[in-house]
Amino acid sequence: MHRFLRLPILLVGLFMAVSSYAANNSQPALTTEDSLGPQVQQPIEFPHNRHAGNHDASDPAKGGMEINCQYCHTYARRSAVAGIPPLQKCIGCHQSIESVRNKPRIVELFKYWDAKKAIPWKKVHDLPDFVRFNHERHIKRFIEQQDRPVQEACGYCHGDVKEMTVARRQKPLAMGWCASCHEKDHPVTAEGGAPIGNQAYWYSFQKPVAAQDAAAVIKARGPNDCWQCHK
Amino acid sequence: MIDSDSVKQLAGHPFDRRDFLKVLGWSGTAVALSGCGNTSIEDGRETVVSYVEASDYMVPGIGVYYNSTCAQCDAGCNINGRVREGRVLKLEGNPDSGINKGKLCGLGQAGVQHHYNPDRVREPLLRNGSKGEAITWDKAYALIAEKLAGVQGDEIAFLSGGMSGHLKVLLGNYLDSLGTRNHFVYEAIAPSVVRAANVKAYGVEMPRYRLDKAKVVLSFGADFLGAWVSPVHFSQQYAQFRKGVDGQRGVLIQVESKMTLTGANADRWLVVKPGTEGVLALGIINVLGTATGDVAELVKGYDPVRVSRETGVSVSHIEKVAALLRMRSPSLVLAGSAAEGYAHGSQNAAAINLLNQVLGNVGKTIEAPVSVPFPQMAPAKGNTAALKSLNDGLAAGKYKVVFNFAANPVFTAPGAMKFKDNFAKAGFKVAFAHYLDETALQADLVLPLDSALEDWGTQVPEYMTEGAQINIQQPLMERLHANTRGMGDIVLALLKQRKADEYKGFEDYYAYLRGAMLQNKGALGGGGVDDDTFWNETLTRGIVKLAGATGALTTHATAAGLVFPAHKEADEHYPLHLIPGVTASLRDGRHTNQPWLQESPDPLTTIVWDSWVEIHPKKATELGIVEGDIVEVTSRTGSVKAQVYLFPGIHPEAVSIPVGRGHDAMGRYAKGYGVNPFQIMDTVFEAATGELAMHETRVKISKTGQRVLVVKDEGAAGALQMGRKIASRVSTDQIDLSKEV
Ligand code: SF4
Repeated sequence: MHRFLRLPILLVGLFMAVSSYAANNSQPALTTEDSLGPQVQQPIEFPHNRHAGNHDASDPAKGGMEINCQYCHTYARRSAVAGIPPLQKCIGCHQSIESVRNKPRIVELFKYWDAKKAIPWKKVHDLPDFVRFNHERHIKRFIEQQDRPVQEACGYCHGDVKEMTVARRQKPLAMGWCASCHEKDHPVTAEGGAPIGNQAYWYSFQKPVAAQDAAAVIKARGPNDCWQCHK
Repeated sequence: MIDSDSVKQLAGHPFDRRDFLKVLGWSGTAVALSGCGNTSIEDGRETVVSYVEASDYMVPGIGVYYNSTCAQCDAGCNINGRVREGRVLKLEGNPDSGINKGKLCGLGQAGVQHHYNPDRVREPLLRNGSKGEAITWDKAYALIAEKLAGVQGDEIAFLSGGMSGHLKVLLGNYLDSLGTRNHFVYEAIAPSVVRAANVKAYGVEMPRYRLDKAKVVLSFGADFLGAWVSPVHFSQQYAQFRKGVDGQRGVLIQVESKMTLTGANADRWLVVKPGTEGVLALGIINVLGTATGDVAELVKGYDPVRVSRETGVSVSHIEKVAALLRMRSPSLVLAGSAAEGYAHGSQNAAAINLLNQVLGNVGKTIEAPVSVPFPQMAPAKGNTAALKSLNDGLAAGKYKVVFNFAANPVFTAPGAMKFKDNFAKAGFKVAFAHYLDETALQADLVLPLDSALEDWGTQVPEYMTEGAQINIQQPLMERLHANTRGMGDIVLALLKQRKADEYKGFEDYYAYLRGAMLQNKGALGGGGVDDDTFWNETLTRGIVKLAGATGALTTHATAAGLVFPAHKEADEHYPLHLIPGVTASLRDGRHTNQPWLQESPDPLTTIVWDSWVEIHPKKATELGIVEGDIVEVTSRTGSVKAQVYLFPGIHPEAVSIPVGRGHDAMGRYAKGYGVNPFQIMDTVFEAATGELAMHETRVKISKTGQRVLVVKDEGAAGALQMGRKIASRVSTDQIDLSKEV
């Protein structure tokens, strides 16, 4: 009785395959190109540039304050998800910054605080549910082990945040784009085999397994197994 | 990548299975690609949940774990819930628990669906015609006070499910303040006849059964792996039992008329004529030949030939069981719900207990239970006898105000009781409810309760293990809905209406609970510790373990009062026994609105989302019925229509319908799925205890002419292997080795 059902099922499957093939024949980019996400309207126009931007000696009121990303985004180094800083964090500083206390954005901020209501920030970066990106691992690798500057390491994926007001997605965040970095050989030692950054400390626990090349540089790749992200 | 040539080539050829998978593979890839692409997900659309203030231990993405107690059944397993971003995500067992030792059953796992259920009642509702109108809590409390004004204590009734701990004490105080003694405790499925028989045989209601110490377990319809008493605990003992004592792997023999999950795991499953379990037990005592005194006198008449004739179990099986019991000691004999569900259920249970005594198991595999040193917190138990007396009072128009909590009698009362009609005669009906279930729908005032994962409480389980314990229930997260309340808070508020002075010191139930626990800190093992430390440690553990008092068991075997009714002839109008099936996941149907429970296949039939009628294939052939036929099952009380499932694990003279489904209210996942066999149950009561004899309903079946495809995981509907077997096999004697090598 079920035998006759097979052909229609096959045809439907085939149809789906062909039509989705037609719709998706453009490959995701395998480069580190920029790919701007939508401009997101946020409840408060948070000025990243003011907080993280470079100090401007000529006009300190205009320039940034060079605050470390991790000062506010504290969860990123502790958890797979970065989360959003609690409102308490903003207030912690702003309650004693009288000079901007009456600026419209700060007034708005305190309204939320007085009502003890969370600010309904809109998501700017999102991955599908079947992808598990881990912030903590990346921060360990780049900031703690390789001693890269924080803004550079965060910027691999988030772009040059210190130039933005509200954040906007800068990179494709698609699998091919992730792989374009994970598939590359990255030097983990300088010439002569000396570990880069703080890695000597880490290598005292676990030595890199890869062999040295001609210049005695050890190169390694980021994790490349499917299950690293698709758990 | 697929190219157009290969598509053409495929299209022109008949597909084989491999190509089919390939095609599916392509479409799967295509879907995945579009999912990863730039048209990403929820950028700019979804709101990210952030905290206003966050404690140090709260990190998004990282779970925090709290201990609490499972409230899905009253076995009292201790749970450990994972909470992330303030939401409870997953429940596991608390490894420190003596009852469930870190494990949890499927029903317990579904507890999160009780909490997040979309059909929970969210506002106090007052009846206005056929509708419920949302009112405030103040108005609801005022209304209760108004309705109670001038009402005599004996005109008030409070119906509840089994309850224990501080809530029981507080409710008792409230009922005292109302001057009423009418607290009816009703659990639709409870081993009450066995409890009464145990008191006679051992001196206690529920001894501790040690399956792990037994070398043979002979169970008369006790589904201890599925739905009996404390299934998670017994499952762990069972694992130990199977590993064996002294290197002897335990042997399980299950005697019943309808196979249960435990029966399916037995080494030997013996089908017995419904209701003759006790006779079989006496037959085994007879064959053992070790009984003395009045017991020997009693079993003299139960020779294997007669017993075999009455029970349908062959003489050789009776002798084999007896031989095994003689050979391996200690053993353990259990009387389960199948044995107690008859008008002579007490006699069945007594005969089975007698077998234990003759075998000398008392004190070896049957141990004295422990009890908590606070008798007022011990569980209040009850079964249909309590409901019957409430029902009689309702029928006589005795009650002006009736409360209902944690019971759904309109759904679970046997149809012949006409509970719904009688309930309507009560003056003012208040239901404390999670869902608008059948009973809440009949109420005048519905008060919405917190879920078990939002509420405070304590519980003392009926069945405890090594030591006594008080289980702590604490909120795993904040209330989902602003206007639900904990039962403790409600009872406290009601008590304040009566005794404002006495209770004004307690702001809420939490304060009461904390105060009451701290008052007894010494007895609860917190002597010499300061209050906050004791309280925080108690909440962290989720269990208060106590030494507990152990009594002694009676070991004296006596046949006094053991008389079986004369063998009854089959009923010619209603020739079949109706056996209500109690399944591990649905139990009495109070959790049917949790879709996981509907979706997880029944372990024996693999059917989902529907009821079925189990019929023996032989009987079905006789009646010309095949699987999927819709039949009408008619008793003296009523009839239901359901699909047939041919089941070799049932006595040919019986049919079985699982209980728990067939709701006509409660919520989207429960309403309209399956049929409710409670509806067609006759009111035959057990002679000694007055409890409902759940297996005494007789039915007939008739075909309706309709047929459906049974939705199940096994068999023709799901097991089609594209014409191949899962693993082909030939027997060794068919292999010519010379050709193979
Ligand atoms: S047996 Fe299952 S439902 Fe009952 S308390 Fe234990 S885990 Fe919960």
